[in-house]
Amino acid sequence: MAIRTHIAFVLIATYWLAGCVNTTIQEVREANTSLGSTESIVILSRKHKTSGETENDFVSCVSGKTSSGEDGLSVMSERAFMDELFPWFEPRTAPINMKDLTDVISRPLISEKIRAVGVRYLVWVEGTTQRSEESGALQCTVVSGGIPACFGFLSWESGSDYEASIWDINRGINVGKVSSEASGTSIVPALVVPIPFIARVQNQACISLAEQLKTFIGA
Amino acid sequence: MERQLTNLLLVLICTTNIHWVVGCSSDASVTITTSIPNPLIEQLPIDVAIYYNDSMSQYVHSEDLGSYGNHTIDLRSQISVFNRIFNAMFKSVKPVDSIDSAEGRGVDAILAPSIEKFQFSIPEQTRKDFYEVWIQYRFDLYGVDGSLIHSWPVTAYGKANRLNYGGMQNEKSPALREATKWALRDAAASVSFSFVRQDLVREWFRQRAES
Repeated sequence: MAIRTHIAFVLIATYWLAGCVNTTIQEVREANTSLGSTESIVILSRKHKTSGETENDFVSCVSGKTSSGEDGLSVMSERAFMDELFPWFEPRTAPINMKDLTDVISRPLISEKIRAVGVRYLVWVEGTTQRSEESGALQCTVVSGGIPACFGFLSWESGSDYEASIWDINRGINVGKVSSEASGTSIVPALVVPIPFIARVQNQACISLAEQLKTFIGA
Repeated sequence: MERQLTNLLLVLICTTNIHWVVGCSSDASVTITTSIPNPLIEQLPIDVAIYYNDSMSQYVHSEDLGSYGNHTIDLRSQISVFNRIFNAMFKSVKPVDSIDSAEGRGVDAILAPSIEKFQFSIPEQTRKDFYEVWIQYRFDLYGVDGSLIHSWPVTAYGKANRLNYGGMQNEKSPALREATKWALRDAAASVSFSFVRQDLVREWFRQRAES
């Protein structure tokens, strides 16, 4: 009975600690997709901007989740793809539209290499996770007996907004877009000991985007 | 005894938290050891001698950012980066000790890269999340008789997001190193594209083909 109570407490605590996250997924399909058994995709982030660059760990997360599970797709890592195609997919030289991509892959050296690595779809991810509406205050002090204690309440909104454009290298067309938005509120109440309840919006956006990419490309 | 230990632990946690929140100035000294992948570029049918002056081959940037600490970036490995890209760009590459010494070595031209400017910024200065590095190179192309064919600048840029390093003080050296590596990679990419896009270099090529 006591064990059950403890398990229930841990589950409730985990739910609280994780915070609440709302996720919205959108999809726009412009052409059919199919991935052969020897073909793979690569998930890339835009790096040419001076601000609002997609976080590395988000791209790694989406790559990892898209390649995992029974319905997982074959995913080449971003860095491996950039190295194989050096210097054509560097932050400053990567094609930014379909016309640029067509120009790049029309070169025999490039098309031959892309065939060799087996990449069929380029997935360009853009977006970030940002904190907003921070409020409250937290103060820590040393109370009698030399014990530190914190008092107060902090809260903030976090929002993730990511969009993935999917390019078909073989056909030289944009086959569609998938977007993932997630938002949530994190709070840190402190009565001697601060207890954080963090909304993991980026992780949720990653999971949603990866699942949607699997459905979109693998369909 | 147990209480003392608990208090000590709590004080340690608080001190660490204050260190994270307040931050402090810290020096950074990074040595760049990097290479670039095998470049996927079409080779030009010319034999080129490469001359690196001492300031290029021994380049170490030191800068005191006041309250943000002293920063030293050792860029000597850039020579191996350029050698790799030049070996992919040209039919053959020969290192030379001076521009004059290339005559009679069976080359078509001498290429002399040099650094004109090196700048970097850290998030504490810019209030952004990025460590950034800019390098401005100058590429001088000489004929075998020592006459200048063309001279053009190549700007390289690299950045590293501090959030990819945990956002703490010990991020500085690895993030600065990563930003510099990306700048060198950008330099290699830029020079491989810029060389054949220079009008005067193309004109020199055309004249060589006709003669």
